Amino acid sequence: MLADEGRKAIPVTQTNSDSVVNLQKPEQEMMTSGKPRRVDAERSSLAQLLNIIRDGDADTRQELERVTGLGRAVISDRLATLFAHNLLVEGELGQTTGGRAPRTIRFNANVGLLLVATIEPSRLGVAIADLSGNLVAEHHEAADMAIGPSHMLKRLITLFDWVLEQHQGTRAVWGIGIAAPGPVEEFPLASPRLRFLPGWDEFPIVDHLLAKYHAPVWMRSGVQMMAYGEYKTGNAAGTGDLIYVNLSQNISAGIISEGHLHRGAQGGAGLIGHVAVGDGHDLRCSCGNVGCLETVAGVEAIGREGLALANAGSSRHLADALASEGLVTAGDVGMAAQSGDSAAAEILARAGKYIGTALASLVNAFNPSLISLGGDVGQTDDILLASIREAVYRRSHPLVTRDLRIQRSAMGSSAGLSGAALVVADAIFESASVVDWISSGSPAKAAIVSVVVARAEQQINGPQTKPLPPAAA
Amino acid sequence: MPISGLGPHGERGQSPDLLRLSDEEIERARAGKFKVALVLHTTKSDWAKQHLVGIAKTLGDHGAALIDVADCSYDAAKQVAHFERLIADRPDAIISIPVGNSVVAESHRNAAKAGIKVILLDNVPTGLLPERDYVSLISADNFGLGEMAAQLLSPHMAPETAVGILAYDKDFFATNEREIAFRRWIEIHRPDLRIQQSRFSEALLANVAMSALVNGTTKISGVFAVWDEVAMPAIRVLKGLGISLPMTTVDLGDDVALALAEGEIMQGIAAQRPYDQGVAAARSTILSLIGRQPPPWVALPGLAVTRETVIQSYQVIWHMPPSPELVKQVLRAQG
Repeated sequence: MLADEGRKAIPVTQTNSDSVVNLQKPEQEMMTSGKPRRVDAERSSLAQLLNIIRDGDADTRQELERVTGLGRAVISDRLATLFAHNLLVEGELGQTTGGRAPRTIRFNANVGLLLVATIEPSRLGVAIADLSGNLVAEHHEAADMAIGPSHMLKRLITLFDWVLEQHQGTRAVWGIGIAAPGPVEEFPLASPRLRFLPGWDEFPIVDHLLAKYHAPVWMRSGVQMMAYGEYKTGNAAGTGDLIYVNLSQNISAGIISEGHLHRGAQGGAGLIGHVAVGDGHDLRCSCGNVGCLETVAGVEAIGREGLALANAGSSRHLADALASEGLVTAGDVGMAAQSGDSAAAEILARAGKYIGTALASLVNAFNPSLISLGGDVGQTDDILLASIREAVYRRSHPLVTRDLRIQRSAMGSSAGLSGAALVVADAIFESASVVDWISSGSPAKAAIVSVVVARAEQQINGPQTKPLPPAAA
Repeated sequence: MPISGLGPHGERGQSPDLLRLSDEEIERARAGKFKVALVLHTTKSDWAKQHLVGIAKTLGDHGAALIDVADCSYDAAKQVAHFERLIADRPDAIISIPVGNSVVAESHRNAAKAGIKVILLDNVPTGLLPERDYVSLISADNFGLGEMAAQLLSPHMAPETAVGILAYDKDFFATNEREIAFRRWIEIHRPDLRIQQSRFSEALLANVAMSALVNGTTKISGVFAVWDEVAMPAIRVLKGLGISLPMTTVDLGDDVALALAEGEIMQGIAAQRPYDQGVAAARSTILSLIGRQPPPWVALPGLAVTRETVIQSYQVIWHMPPSPELVKQVLRAQG
């Protein structure tokens, strides 16, 4: 679980600075003399009961009494509140322990909904999810980040509005999750921003979404969202130690260690595309260094080597691709390799060796039980997979590779959507967060959201000047 | 022709050319004597009939027996029942078009868990994953079809007017893609047009949706129907009202082919290649049964059909000559 993240999450700025926490709690509800007032105790027990039921740890009144140690009257009172907010629904009859069979209670994951999106260098995906983080419907389409953040946001909102029209009904948007195309840095008293993406780093994408949908927004690096989605719902489900590698425009990794997503101090953990591959490589990387992994095994490098083969007449497949499209992409190299082109296969084998060698360092450091390969390049063919496996096994300590599995992810871009939905659901229902919104019935109605929405609107529109008094007649 | 859409999980569409089998693989498939079942939303549409022919022939070529063809009548409950029966019968593979989303997801998942290879046509219920829950999705490039339908309609649309969409209200991958792509093309290339939509829950009720569009407060000057069986009742409504509005649709069924040749309302068709899609589905099935993993999404490009090309397109798509009635209609239109 992302307990630590969730604790930071409800303040939309994703910070736990005192000033923001104070914004969340109206004056009369603040702690006094270090002792919580009655209203805080009530909200704590409401949050506790909601999460016990949501996690499936108890589903009858009797079990709730046993698990929490709370009295019957208190349980009844809190459940009445949760039912009133439609957060719970009655289920079927449970098992009897002598006497009348108890009525079970279930979390109502459909009382609200989540909007999630994944923005990747060459595609945009959107989905709607229930409050348990299960995707209900999704759509992916080609998109070029070169159009800039403003146009991408416009398209994102068009698609969000379309899925809402299809699925919203009377439900409110409780939260929004964005899997971003790069590292996301957070700031006290300001919305998180993308980093290292020219033109995107100062664009207030989170503020725009806050202002449009009046719901809290969580933005994380895409690969971290993908790792979390793979960990919870993909083939890695139940694997506590996982490295998810996104092999697409950039090479990056999301690390789940003992069930926790490792984000890093600036939110940039996993930038393995910038691992140095050693001497003899002098191509300059976008980060300013030379010899980064991305420069020899990234999409551009694979495409460049494919183009060289096409021009040299060493690959009929790639020469055909060049003739028909005017360029050779990494996808063409993958297709050529799948069709039995040995020269194209050699490019992928070489790239796999570099990637596997870089991953071996991570394997030695984190001892994962699974490496899951995603992204366009990760899906290309078996040669790349075999080459990565060989390099990882050869360059890692035998102990850490003893039970290590390396496989392709089956989730595609759904991994990012699923991870985003789960991150948002975890954050909304993390106990400390529930305490903040439970009395208003949903996070979208919480006082803090009004504050951050107002701040987002100010950020977008600029400071509001006080209107001048009407001129005297 | 490039594939412009992405798959249900954002995959790039792969060409059916990748589904070729070597002579040795064909021999292995024949020796396997595999049994395959087919679960269709309907067996009555032209699209379904063409799929069926492509699937049956290709399976036969590879020594596989098509042991069951189930018709769900667009009913999710019927599909669930068919799956329960088929899982008990234990075919080696099931080729299925899921008629719903979450309501049929579990049935498909259960078949995969029972060791039956599941190959999907046109739709993937949310949450199902390739390799784990199904082998491969075979479909047209539905996003490309939506763009094509918009492009075919655009020259017939007066400036600064509204375009109507007859949209399916079920959560279905193929029709969602068409609708989203149609809207996107209009927004980019014809920003002067407003979009007015009317939803229907089944093709037979498309006449009600069409009436709502023409009787609405916004006057429309053209219509996109998301598939041909929807276009036909809509055309009947327009003719009944004496209104001639330009319309485009998807799928070259017999009736819309005639309507296109007639030239009154239907102005263009973004056609799928259902026979070829059936062939690709059968090949994916055979490949998976001999231990090769086909691509997660195999996509076939659409074909833009106009009055001038309808006969030739019919031959390409149906792999047979057009009806004498269609030829007569085209010749009459040409004078």
